[in-house]
Amino acid sequence: MELSESVMKGLQTLADPTVFDLKSFTIFTEVAFDSLVSHRGGSVLGHPDLKHIDQTTLKHCHTAATTFILEGVKQNADKSTISSCLEDVKFLNERVDTFYISFQVGQCFVSLIHGPPHITDAEWRLEYCIKNSHVHKVNQPSYLISLNTERAGASSEINFSCTMDQLQDLVGKMKDAAKSLERATQS
Amino acid sequence: MMEEVDRILIHSLREAGTDIDEDVQSVKQFTSELIVEAVVKCLRVIDPALGNGLSHSLPPGMSARFRLGMSLAQACQDVGFKGEIGYQTFLYSNEPEIRSLFMFLVEKLPRESAEASDQPAGKSALLQRAIAAQIKEQSSVPWLPPSCRLPIHRKTQSSGPCYSFHAQPLSLPYSVKVSSRKQPKDVQEYWRNYLLPVTAQPSQHASVPASLLENHISELSATQEWESEWNSQGLLSRLTPEEYRSRKKARLQKRIEEQLRAAAQPRPDTHGATRSTSDLAELLQSFGGASTGGDVLTKGTRFTHTEKFTFTQEPEKAAQQMAAAASALPSSHQSEEDLKAQQEAELSALQQQLQQLSVQMEEVGGDIKQLTVSIQQVSDELQQKEVSNGEKENSIKMKRQTIDLLPDTENNLLKLQGLVEASSKRVVHLASQWEKHRVPLIDEHRRLKELCSNRESESSRKLSEIKDLHDKIRQSAEEAKKKESLYKQLLTEFETLSKDVSRSAYTMRILEIVGNIKKQKEEITKILSDTKDLQKEINSLTGKLDRTFAVTDELVFKDAKKDESVRKSYKYLAALHENCTQLIQTIEDTGTIMREIRDLEEQIDTENGKRTVSNLEKILEDYKAIRQENSALAAKIREG
Repeated sequence: MELSESVMKGLQTLADPTVFDLKSFTIFTEVAFDSLVSHRGGSVLGHPDLKHIDQTTLKHCHTAATTFILEGVKQNADKSTISSCLEDVKFLNERVDTFYISFQVGQCFVSLIHGPPHITDAEWRLEYCIKNSHVHKVNQPSYLISLNTERAGASSEINFSCTMDQLQDLVGKMKDAAKSLERATQS
Repeated sequence: MMEEVDRILIHSLREAGTDIDEDVQSVKQFTSELIVEAVVKCLRVIDPALGNGLSHSLPPGMSARFRLGMSLAQACQDVGFKGEIGYQTFLYSNEPEIRSLFMFLVEKLPRESAEASDQPAGKSALLQRAIAAQIKEQSSVPWLPPSCRLPIHRKTQSSGPCYSFHAQPLSLPYSVKVSSRKQPKDVQEYWRNYLLPVTAQPSQHASVPASLLENHISELSATQEWESEWNSQGLLSRLTPEEYRSRKKARLQKRIEEQLRAAAQPRPDTHGATRSTSDLAELLQSFGGASTGGDVLTKGTRFTHTEKFTFTQEPEKAAQQMAAAASALPSSHQSEEDLKAQQEAELSALQQQLQQLSVQMEEVGGDIKQLTVSIQQVSDELQQKEVSNGEKENSIKMKRQTIDLLPDTENNLLKLQGLVEASSKRVVHLASQWEKHRVPLIDEHRRLKELCSNRESESSRKLSEIKDLHDKIRQSAEEAKKKESLYKQLLTEFETLSKDVSRSAYTMRILEIVGNIKKQKEEITKILSDTKDLQKEINSLTGKLDRTFAVTDELVFKDAKKDESVRKSYKYLAALHENCTQLIQTIEDTGTIMREIRDLEEQIDTENGKRTVSNLEKILEDYKAIRQENSALAAKIREG
């Protein structure tokens, strides 16, 4: 895992026992994870036990720690990678363990996954229009499709109507997508 | 040893698709049907075109079996089997032939593992494969309704809150270029007291990861680019990093300036600079432009100034004219057309004035140019005249001095000569002193030059060394990364490989066999040498025996004519010799016969293995069966 110079410096300061003793270190780790997970605003570093540390250094270390956590989550780093990185910046073993425990817990909450809603169900209705108020003879079929989508546990519906050709087009595109997915698994 | 071979053969035949029972352990137990099935399946794998035409089960009819046997034999020969093969190998098989045939076919089976290990190990290929594996995994999990989902489905089936990946620029409490102590006090105070922590800076909390990651990656790539630039160009320029950076900055600024200036040049055909160019000219002046640029601009501004002056008269004149026109206005009963006509007349008058003034301006400009040229000429002449004046004054002074010295000629001449001599002596003296000073200084100069050139060559050598080291570092880092990734990849492949037949067992077996063979070879050589020694002994002993007997014979025979007891002892001697010879002969015959017995026993074993008797019985039965078939077919033909 490659880290930039500023992140390394911040982590080195974090590892320094003269700047952060063990208690402040534990509180700082919790605070760092908390700030990533929930929206706290500017007071996230206002814990009384952290007030004795120079605020500039504190903010620098906070940036370094959050960047490090995000890089770890992004690369799905396992314990050996994280431990080796932290030991490179001279973290003591107990601090490495504390950090890793919080990392494991916090990993699930830092969400880097983004995606559109999933389609779970589809209902269709075929409509045939014989005549309407403007035209005496229409005689056209059309489909009314209702797709049940799900996103983050909440479901909603997408309703639309389309002609036969458009529906054929849509089905063709879905089949193409499925085929290309299969081809991707084989290569 | 044959069991090992058989085990390997049976395993490979199972892999090729033959259905072999669990209790079949050796090739000896293969029936004809099994043999045919195994051979056909192998042929199908080796060469599908060849093998698909053959059926893998023995047909019941004898002639069909015969045909199948012949075609199988032909197919095996087509694939390349060099031994003797015919329908009898399949229908009336014997163990050694079958074993050699199977070994040949198993060798010919294509190696499946070769395809798997040919996969390229590049990073993009690895990524592709990882993506394919993930997609496969995800698509193999069936969709479950929300109430039935387990936590492992969380990632794929119920996605969390989704936001798009927007990054916002962050304000960081440190600077890469300036250490935090050298920052101005205000900045430090801002960092300490007012700057928000990074996670609170973006306007949406969801952009926090994106912004942090973006910031980090940009820092990483900036350092990488600086490294590569410094390693390639920076080291060559032999400057310190700060000097290199400042030079680069100055260079870039100059280039930007030149480009802007070229775009901002006032064109000669437009009258007067437009507002935008004058603004740009001010901006360029703030860059601290060079002198030539300044001249161009000041000339421009001079022109604009002159224009301004000439045109400032214009508005005044226009105002005056307007006032005059306004006062010259008759009463308000003027009709509109008259007003228009008046205005047009005024307009044309003004335009004429404008033209006149521009013509005047051009003339004035021309005059100014001429005057400047003439001024230049005159100043040049003035300079020349001054120089010649100075020279003439010098010559006048000298002549006056000589005239002053004329009255007292002789003394003055003597004094002048003395002065001249003294001055020449002084010159010589000074020259020698100068020489004395010059020589060590020249040596010093030479020495320092040498030192300098040495240092330069040293530094260029060290630079090239540094470059080599950098290259080597880079290369070994790349190799290490490649080897690590290869190792990881091979590790995963190794874990997924099947563990049916262990390679280590094979290799150990092979090594054992090789050791055994070596030992046997040693023993054979020892036995051979023993045999040779024994043979030599036998030869020498027989020789000795013959010679001794001949000597004894002669001796005793000589005495036998005289003495009776000697004659008897001679007879006993002869009898003894003959009996011993017979004994020896018998022993030799026994040995030969024992060897023949061993050979014959071996032959018996091999012949027994061929199962000739049972095969002959089978052949007789089959022959009878074929005859019956033939007669049945003949009867059918006769009937109809």
